[in-house]
Parts: sequence; structure tokens; C-alpha cells
Amino acid sequence: MPGALPQLLGSLVAVVAIVAVTWALGFRRAARIESHDEARELFSLAPGGFEPVAIELDRQGRAAIARDRQGRVAVLVPHGNQFVFRLLAPGSPISAEGGVLAIRALPAVKIEPEGDARVWANTDSSDNSG
Amino acid sequence: MPFDPVAYAIPVFVALILGELLWSRLRGSHQAYEWRDTGTSLAVGLGSTIAGALTGGLTAALLVWVHGFAPLSIGWVWWAWPLCFVLDDLAYYVFHRSAHRVRWFWASHVNHHSSQHYNLSTALRQSWTGFVAASFVFRLPLALAGFEPGMILACAGINLIYQFWIHTEAVERMPRWFEAVMNTPSHHRVHHAVNARYLDRNYAGVFIIWDRMFGTFAPEDTEDRIRYGLVGQLGSFNLFYVVFHEWIGIARDVWRAPWRHKLAYLWREPGWSHDDSRETSEMIRRRWKSRTPEPNSRDRPVR
Ligand SMILES: [Zn+2]
Ligand SMILES: [Zn+2]
Repeated sequence: MPGALPQLLGSLVAVVAIVAVTWALGFRRAARIESHDEARELFSLAPGGFEPVAIELDRQGRAAIARDRQGRVAVLVPHGNQFVFRLLAPGSPISAEGGVLAIRALPAVKIEPEGDARVWANTDSSDNSG
Repeated sequence: MPFDPVAYAIPVFVALILGELLWSRLRGSHQAYEWRDTGTSLAVGLGSTIAGALTGGLTAALLVWVHGFAPLSIGWVWWAWPLCFVLDDLAYYVFHRSAHRVRWFWASHVNHHSSQHYNLSTALRQSWTGFVAASFVFRLPLALAGFEPGMILACAGINLIYQFWIHTEAVERMPRWFEAVMNTPSHHRVHHAVNARYLDRNYAGVFIIWDRMFGTFAPEDTEDRIRYGLVGQLGSFNLFYVVFHEWIGIARDVWRAPWRHKLAYLWREPGWSHDDSRETSEMIRRRWKSRTPEPNSRDRPVR
């Protein structure tokens, strides 16, 4: 196929150009949760629904953690300018170090809560021992 | 080499994506696009055209081979074109429904649904592994019915091109008559939604009538904010993860499952598990219904 290579190169150039335009137009902001209400809505939009009875927001809105009536814990993980809903396995380790929540199953997520981080921790590594 | 209308449509696709980008920007829809998501979509699209170029000849050869068994050959008469187009669209409906209900076909189709965004670039997230998954079998009956293989491939190409423009939030509703017959942005938004009520709905390619006929139609409800993507969002922009993750998942499940359940991980619906440790779309819908206290009229299945 003689025309295949120029066509492929042309397509590659087009791909790079569109991505550059998308970036230049400002579609590169990180996801941010502005309020508890917004977090509640994002949790409720999880497939089949998730109704939080307690929510903790990251101070800068980068992530959120919530508990529902059955005691299940879920996290909103930032992904581009969207959030991904992740339900934690029962007993999944959560530690509070220096007032920051770290979730072992989701190493990329750091939640710096406005309230007391230790409320959400379930491991001994929390800094409440001393 | 059969006529490939998709190659001619690509410049138009590029222009329309740029137009939608500008429109989203001017409207202040900051979440309409995401640059890495767009990059992944376009790369998946480019990869799928390469995969298509590599396997297109084989698909054509198979159609020619099956056409040889046709009791009569319809030829290139003019009236064969609209007939072939409509029947090919029905074949697409059957393919697409299977692609959502049989995990083997889902593994190849899932990347089309892997973006959490719904814009024209999402349309380009096409399969790389369609041929390997044997998706072509759904079009073989047309060749057996006597349609020219070249005509079938051209109709399939036009069908795919039609589906490009419906991947947008820029169009709310088309005129009533159009919404009644044709697949539209509104109908296809429902198809890409993971809201419980919308799961496994609106499989149409060009004509929405198939969903209305076979009971898989759901209208878009503007009250219910749509969430796009997969029930278990990937949370990754990695091209190869997007394309191959479900195949890897199948391999892992088949490997781990007890012998008598192994094959079921290939042919059962996505989300099925032998120990009920996961959720199918029916299970999600049931859970959603049970927690919706007063199901209003909108929640009844639409027939
Ligand atoms: Zn689909
Ligand atoms: Zn689509």
C-alpha cells in the first residue's frame, strides 16, 4: 500500500495537533470538589448509588472519602478533570499520618481533611499513639 | 482493496473535533474535554485504523468466501444499496447487543466506552481486537443472503461514519420525527451512561427502531445527570491498558476459576462471576430500584 505511510504520518500530526489545541484551550485543569453537596452528588452517581452518612473532603478538594449506613467506605479519586469512584474492601487499611489520610489500596490518593483525620483511620500507624 | 469511506471522513472528523473544542471553550464547559483523555481517544482511533488495515483484507476475503455459498447473487442493482444498508444496521444492532452481553465480545468493544467524557473524540475510541474477537461473524449472513461483499463493507463504513456525530453534548434534541427513527446524540448519550437505569440500552447504530422493536430502548431523562464511562471506571489514560485490560481480566478469571466455570467467563455477561462476588448490570439496576423509594413513571421499562 503506497499511500499508507504518508496517511499514517498525517494522522499522527493531526493527533498531536488536536491534543495541543485541547491543552492550549485550558482543558487541563485538575478535578476539584467544591463542596460537601458536590461530593455527595458524585458519590450518589456511583453505579447503583452510594448514600454517604459521613463525608470528609480534602482541604483543596482533590479527593473525598465517605461512609454509608452499612459501614462501607468509598473514595473519590481524581482522574484528569473527573473523579473515579472506588469502593474499598472491608477493613482496607487507612492510616492518618501528620493529619493526612493515606489509603493503602489507593497509593496515589492523599486526603488532607478539614476535620480530624484519625476518625477515618483503622491502622496503628496513626499518630495518635503519642 | 475495497472502497473505504472512513479514510475520506477523517479530515472532516478532525475539523468537527476542533469545532466542538472551541464551542466547549466558549460555553465554559471546562469538563467537556481533557487533553490526556483526548490523546488516548485519538491514539486508540489511530490504532484501530491500523488494525483495520491489517485485518480488513481478511474480513473481505471471508465475506467473498461466504458469498460463494449464497443461493443467489444480488449484484450491484441500485435497490440493493438501501436494503443492504438497513439489514447491515440490523446486523450491527445484533453485534452491538452481543458486545455488551457476552464478555468475549465486550473485551473488544469495552474501549469504546472507556472514556469518562462524551465528546466527538470519544467516537474514535474504536476496537483494535474486533477481528480477533470474530466480530465479523455478525456480517457474514448478509454475504450469505447474496449481497456483494464490497457493498456490505461500504455500508458498514458509512454506518461507522454516521455514528461519529452522535458522540456530542452539543446537540440536545433533533426534531421529533428524527429522534423517532434515527440514532441521535440524545439516544447514544444514554448508551454511554453508567446510570443504573441506562445500562445496556440503545444499542442502535443508525436506526433507533431496532431498540424500540426489541425492547432495549430508553429515552434520555434530562433530570437524571448522566455519568459516562464504565461501571468500574478505569482511571487510566494508558493506551495499552485501555485497549487490552478486559482481555487480561478474562485470562485472569479463566485461570483462577474452578474448571466447570472457566468457559462461563467467556460467554456470560460482563460482571458475571461464579461466586457472585461482582455485579452485572441487572444486579446494579435491582440494587438501584430497591433504594429508589417511589419509582416514578419514568423508571418503568419503555417498550
Ligand atoms: Zn456499546
Ligand atoms: Zn458510542
